[in-house]
Amino acid sequence: MDPTIEINERVDVVAIYKKRGDTSTLCVPYKMRWRGREIALTELALRHPTVAGKRMIHVFHMGDGTNGYRLEFDAEALTWTLIAMIGGRP
Amino acid sequence: MNLGLNTEQPQIMHLDLNSAFTSAEQQAWPSLRGRPIGVTNRLSKECCVIAASYEAKALGIKVGMRRSQALAICPDFILLETDPSKYTYMYGGLLKIMKSYSDKVKMKSIDEGIIDFHGTQHIYKRSLEQVGYEIKQRIYDELGNYMHINVGIGTNQFLAKTAASLHKPNGLDIITHVNLQDVYASLKLEDLTGIAHGYGSRLRVHGIHTPLEFLYADVDMLRRRVFGGINGVHWYHRLRGFEVDDYETQLSMVGRQWVVANPSNDDAYLRSCLHYLSETTGVKLRYRNVKARGVGVWLSFANGGGWSDKKMMRSTFYTNQDIWSHVARLFDGRPKHMVVKTMGVYLYKFTPSLRSQLSILDDVTKADYLTKAVDEINDFYGSFTVLPADTLTGKKTVKQKIPFGGTEYFDLLLKRA
Repeated sequence: MDPTIEINERVDVVAIYKKRGDTSTLCVPYKMRWRGREIALTELALRHPTVAGKRMIHVFHMGDGTNGYRLEFDAEALTWTLIAMIGGRP
Repeated sequence: MNLGLNTEQPQIMHLDLNSAFTSAEQQAWPSLRGRPIGVTNRLSKECCVIAASYEAKALGIKVGMRRSQALAICPDFILLETDPSKYTYMYGGLLKIMKSYSDKVKMKSIDEGIIDFHGTQHIYKRSLEQVGYEIKQRIYDELGNYMHINVGIGTNQFLAKTAASLHKPNGLDIITHVNLQDVYASLKLEDLTGIAHGYGSRLRVHGIHTPLEFLYADVDMLRRRVFGGINGVHWYHRLRGFEVDDYETQLSMVGRQWVVANPSNDDAYLRSCLHYLSETTGVKLRYRNVKARGVGVWLSFANGGGWSDKKMMRSTFYTNQDIWSHVARLFDGRPKHMVVKTMGVYLYKFTPSLRSQLSILDDVTKADYLTKAVDEINDFYGSFTVLPADTLTGKKTVKQKIPFGGTEYFDLLLKRA
């Protein structure tokens, strides 16, 4: 079974921008508000870039200790979108 | 007994990302770590597992297995669709790390490659074993803490790859002339890269049952009786640690195939999808800077049969218009009532492209300008921003998926990125 839950909804995000470090940790989402709930993002699992036409998209795979979230930051539109999530072990 | 082994200090390093696709998914999704997972190109009831995690492999789930078979072994087995952008990032990261050690780097597939350290001893004043552990640490630091790599070091590509397969996952092994026979003694014939069932049977017929017996075999016997040609001599040297595999392979075919989302005999639907496949094949052709003379189309049918046709043209071609006109002509000759399950298009017989030369024929020059312009627009604004109107159905239906084997697709994505 595929446990991925597709969401594709814009979300509010608080991110931390560091002064120095490698590109994978210079910008890290810290928490997000989704459907009225505030979720603290405690783990950066993977960050990788991708493109949608000429638009640069930064994909952040984040964890909150239980669930995993795929967040995308559109560097042109400056929007954060929660693309999908996978729940933790039942 | 003097076996004539290569006594040189090993300078070839083989790197192999362990279960690359599934490790990348487990890296991205922490809740999937430690669980049996796999990836497939398109999720469907009877889709195939194209990569399995170590947890899944330990349960007996193998690459190529049907989803239903995997679920019968483990009802909790998780199957995800492939995510090309994630794997492109991993491929690019691995390549970047490798290229930071030597300019002689060759990717053997999307998750493994070779570094040739010849001529770099004055730069790395430490053993290759230490360099290998450093690369492992860099993979961990730069790609992710769930990404592991097998490292093999040897005097040629064959021994380096053999070393990399000795202790999976996350191993590091070195094969030199000192331990070569001990390593062979621990292996079966089919454990050797390049020896599958067919060659294994052939060797046994000639009284060679183990890698050690293979090593001790006489070169004339290998050449004349076992392999019937130069291949026997190559094996004789390869087993002794001499390099015989450092050559460039010739491009012989580019193409694209697709499992039809809803098997059908509807002409408009199939034509749109095939045209879309032809367009992507054209992009691949021009990326390799070659022109083709041969074109082929094949179909497999829902009832189990199949059809194919190919044609060698008088002159070379490379534009999407030419490719589609040849493909469409072949496609018209198919049995039209049959329900198509899989379709594919391929081009062959290549010559280097001379597109910088202006043609004296105005139509040819216009077609070239148009192709260049469309390619540039699509490079900049995204694939298939500009496309023929009749491929719209194909564009909506056919998804870009992960190909096996070659690295051209990832190189193309990296170039675009």
